[in-house]
Amino acid sequence: MTEQIAKAEEVLRNTNDPGVIQKVLDDNPELKGLGTYEYGWSDSDTAGATAKRGIDTSVVEDISNKKSEPEWMLKLRKKGLKYFERKPQPTWGADLSEIDFDNIKYFVRSTEKQAQTWEDLPEDIRNTYERLGIPEAERERLVSGVAAQYESEVVYHQIREDLEEQGVIFMDTDTALKEHPEFFEEYFGSVIPVGDNKFAALNTAVWSGGSFVYVPKGVHVEIPLQAYFRINTENMGQFERTLIIADEGSYVHYIEGCTAPIYNTDSLHSAVVEIIVRKNARVRYTTIQNWSTNVYNLVTKRAIVDEGGTMEWIDGNIGSKVTMKYPAVYLTGEHAKGETLSVAFAGAGQHQDTGSKMVHMAPNTSSSIVSKSVARSGGRASYRGLVQINPEAKGSANSVVCDALLVDTISKTDTYPYIDIREDDVTLGHEATVSKVSEDQLFYLMSRGLAEDEAMAMIVRGFIEPIARELPMEYALELNRLIELQMEGSVG
Amino acid sequence: MTETPEKVAGVEVGERRISIPGFTEEGENLAAETNSAADHSHGGLGESKNVTSGAGSRTNRHIGFDLSGFPDPTGREEEWRFTPLKKLAGVLSDVATDGAGTDREPVEYQVSGAVEGVEVSTLGHGESPRGAVLQPADRAAVVAYKNVDDALHIKVTEGTEVAEPIRVDITGKAAGVRANSHLVVEAEPNTKAVIVLEHRGSADYNGNVEVKIADGASVSVISLQRWDHDAVHVGQHDAEVGKDAKYKHVAVTLGGKIVRLNTNFRYAAEGARAEMYGLYFADAGQHIEHRTFVDHNSPRNSSDVLYKGALQGETARTVWVGDVLIRKEAEGTDSYEKNQNLVLTDGARADSVPNLEIETGLIDGAGHASSTGRFDDNHLFYLMSRGIPEDIARQLVVRGFMNEIIQKIEVSSIRESLAEDLERELRISGH
Repeated sequence: MTEQIAKAEEVLRNTNDPGVIQKVLDDNPELKGLGTYEYGWSDSDTAGATAKRGIDTSVVEDISNKKSEPEWMLKLRKKGLKYFERKPQPTWGADLSEIDFDNIKYFVRSTEKQAQTWEDLPEDIRNTYERLGIPEAERERLVSGVAAQYESEVVYHQIREDLEEQGVIFMDTDTALKEHPEFFEEYFGSVIPVGDNKFAALNTAVWSGGSFVYVPKGVHVEIPLQAYFRINTENMGQFERTLIIADEGSYVHYIEGCTAPIYNTDSLHSAVVEIIVRKNARVRYTTIQNWSTNVYNLVTKRAIVDEGGTMEWIDGNIGSKVTMKYPAVYLTGEHAKGETLSVAFAGAGQHQDTGSKMVHMAPNTSSSIVSKSVARSGGRASYRGLVQINPEAKGSANSVVCDALLVDTISKTDTYPYIDIREDDVTLGHEATVSKVSEDQLFYLMSRGLAEDEAMAMIVRGFIEPIARELPMEYALELNRLIELQMEGSVG
Repeated sequence: MTETPEKVAGVEVGERRISIPGFTEEGENLAAETNSAADHSHGGLGESKNVTSGAGSRTNRHIGFDLSGFPDPTGREEEWRFTPLKKLAGVLSDVATDGAGTDREPVEYQVSGAVEGVEVSTLGHGESPRGAVLQPADRAAVVAYKNVDDALHIKVTEGTEVAEPIRVDITGKAAGVRANSHLVVEAEPNTKAVIVLEHRGSADYNGNVEVKIADGASVSVISLQRWDHDAVHVGQHDAEVGKDAKYKHVAVTLGGKIVRLNTNFRYAAEGARAEMYGLYFADAGQHIEHRTFVDHNSPRNSSDVLYKGALQGETARTVWVGDVLIRKEAEGTDSYEKNQNLVLTDGARADSVPNLEIETGLIDGAGHASSTGRFDDNHLFYLMSRGIPEDIARQLVVRGFMNEIIQKIEVSSIRESLAEDLERELRISGH
C-alpha cells in the first residue's frame, strides 16, 4: 500500500493540474484505500484546450474538412448526426442520464501528421506509450504491428514487412480511407448501419481513428495485430472506428486494449467495430477494457460471417464507470460459427452491462456464449444477451453459459438472456449459476498461509481461468495482474 | 422500407449499403414481427434497436390501481413486445362486463366443493382483503379490477383442511364478448386446500386472481385454460406467501386463441416455499404467453419455477418470460427457474427469457435455465426400432416430456384428463 501511495504522489507531481486528481481524492476518500489507478496520469493538454465542446453540423463538417474526406463520407456523417439527435437514450441497461453531450469535445487532433518512427512522436506522447509498454512489445516482436491511438487520431503505426508482402493492410482508419477508398465505399457502415442505435449514429457522425485491417484470401496472420487506445483530453469523447475484412480462408487475431487517465468529470467512449468474415475465414477479436472509472464505454461491435467462417469475440471488461457492450455475430452462411467469451469485473461505482448477441440466419450454424462476471464492493455486473434463430436456420445449435461470482453482500448481479426461436430444428441451452465466495474456500486457503485478499484473488482467478487461457500469454498475465489490483481492498 | 439507390459521387449512402438481410438504415427491427402496425408509424423515433430492446429492472416495476399510470400499450414496451396487441383490444379497454348485472352475463361462475370451513361470498370495492395482495402490473389488470363490482371471495377459515379440491368452473358463453373477473382466495393460518380454476367455452376474458396464504398454510391453485379456439384470456395471478407457508401455482394452457397470464409471487415473512409450474401446448394460430415473477423480498424463502411447453403447427407461438428478483434483504434465498420448449413442427416459434437479478451475495443458491429444441430423433428412433409405430412413439416422447409437470398436480382426475388432452393434441398434428 505504501508503494501505491508513493506512486500516487509521483503521479501528482508529474501532472500539470494536480488539483484535479487531488479533488477526486478529496471527494472520494475511499479511493485511498483502493490503491491508485495505475494508468491514471495525464499529459499536458495542449490539443484538447482548443477543441470545441458540444456537437452540431459545423463540428461534423469541420472534422470531415480537416481530414479532406470524400463527399460521401460527409453525407454519412451528417446522416449519423441526424439519427443521433433523433434517437432517445436507451431506457434499458445502465443509467446514462449523467452524460452531458454538450460538454464533450468531439474531435481533438494531437499531432498534425502521423509519425513514421517511434522517435518522431512528441515526447509527452512517447512517455505515455512507454508507460503502457508499447515499445517493449514492439521490440519483442510480440505484436505484428502497432496502431497506437492517441486522442482522436492514430499517430503511430508500423506494420511488419512480411505482412505487407502478404498483402495484409493494417493502418489507422483515416489513412486507410485515403489509401484504400474502395474498401470503405463498399463496407463502411454495411454491418452497423448509420442509424443503428444512438451511439453508433454518434460515432458515424464524429468518428476519428481506429484500425483498418484487410487480410487477403488464404493468408494467415500468425501473430496478433495489436492497438492501444487512450483518451487523454478531459471530457473528450473517443469515437474510433474499426473495420476488419478477412477474405476467404484467411485468419487474423486483432487485439484492442484500453487504458485512460483519471479525470473528475465523465468521459465518453463510443466506438464502432465492423467485421466482415468471408467464406471459411476466421477472425478473433480480443478486448481488454480498462478505462478509468469515470468513462462511459458505449460500444457497438458486430460481425457478419459467411459460409464456414468463424468469428470469436473475447471481451474483458475491467474498467469504466459504465460499459454497455454486446458484441454480435450475424451468421449469414451455412456452417458459420460464432463464439463469445466474456469476462466482467464490476467494482465500486461500476456497472458492467455486457453480453453478446448471436443471430442465426442460415442452416447448420452454431454459436456459443460463455460469460463470467465478478461483482464486488457494491458494483453491478449484468449479462444481457440475445440468441435469435431465424426460420431458415435449420439444424442450428447454441449454448449460453453465464456464471456470476459475488464476493460480498453489497454487490449486484443480473442475467437477461433473451432467446428468440423461429425454427424448430434447433438445439438450444442456457444455464446460469450465481455463487458467492464461500467462507470454507477462504478459510482453507488462509490456513495454507495465504492472506485473505490473496486467497480471494486466487478464487477469482480460478473462476475466470477458462477465459484467461484463451488470451495470448502477455494478456493473460496482465489480466491476472489486473485482478489482483481489483481484489485489493475487497476484503477486511 | 425503401431500397432506391442513394448515391453521392458514385458511392451508395442509403439503405443499399447494408449487408445484413432485413436491416434498414436504423438497424434491425426487433418489434416488427409481432407489432408491425405500431412500429411502422413511429418513424424511427423509438427505442434503440441494438441488442436488447428490453428488460428494465424488476426493482422498478410499475404497479398501481390508477389507470393513468398505464397508458394504452403500443407494443414497444418490454411488457408487451411479444403480444399481438391488436387482437387484445377487446380486453384492454376500460369497460364494464357486457350485460353486467343482468342474466345475460357472458361468463358463468360455479363454485363447488366448498365444504364446512370454507366460506364463499363476494367483496365490493374497498372491502378487505380485496386488493391487499394484487398489485396490478399492467393496464389489463387495472381495468379488470375497476370493472368488477362483486369479486368472488373464497375463504378457508383457520385450521381447516379440505381434502377434496374446491372447484371454480368459469364458462364463457360467446366469443368476442367482454367479461371482467376478480377472484380473492384467502387461506387463513394452518389451513390446507387445493383450488381448481377451470376455464372453458369462449369469451374475451380479463380475470385477476389474488391469493393470500397465511402463516403455516398450504395451498395449491391450479388454473386450467381449456378454452375454445376463439377465446381471449388475459389475467394476473398474484400471491403473497406467509411465514412457513407453502404455495403452489400450476398453469395449464391448452385452449384459447390468445392467452396471456402474468403470475407473481412475493413473501410476507420467512421460511416459505413457493412453486410455480406451467404446461402449455400451442397449435397453429395460438399465442400462449406466460410471464412469471418471483419477488424474493424477505429472507430465507425458497422458490422453484418450471414451465414446459410444446408447439406444433404453422404460426403456433409461445412466450415465457420468467423473472426472479432476489432483493438485498433476501438473505438465505434458494431459487431456481427453468423453461423448456419442445418444437414439434416447422413454423412454430418459442421465446424464452429467464431473467435473474440478485442484489445480495448471501444466498443459498440461485440459477436459471432455458432450453428449446426439436425432440430428440434418437429417442424416436430407439422406440421405433422396438417396434413402436412412429405416431405412438412421438406421443410417448411428448408425454414423457410433459409428465414432469402433470405429476405436480395433486388431483388425480385432472392428471388423467390432461393425459387425454395431450393425446388429442398430438393427434391433431397428424403424426
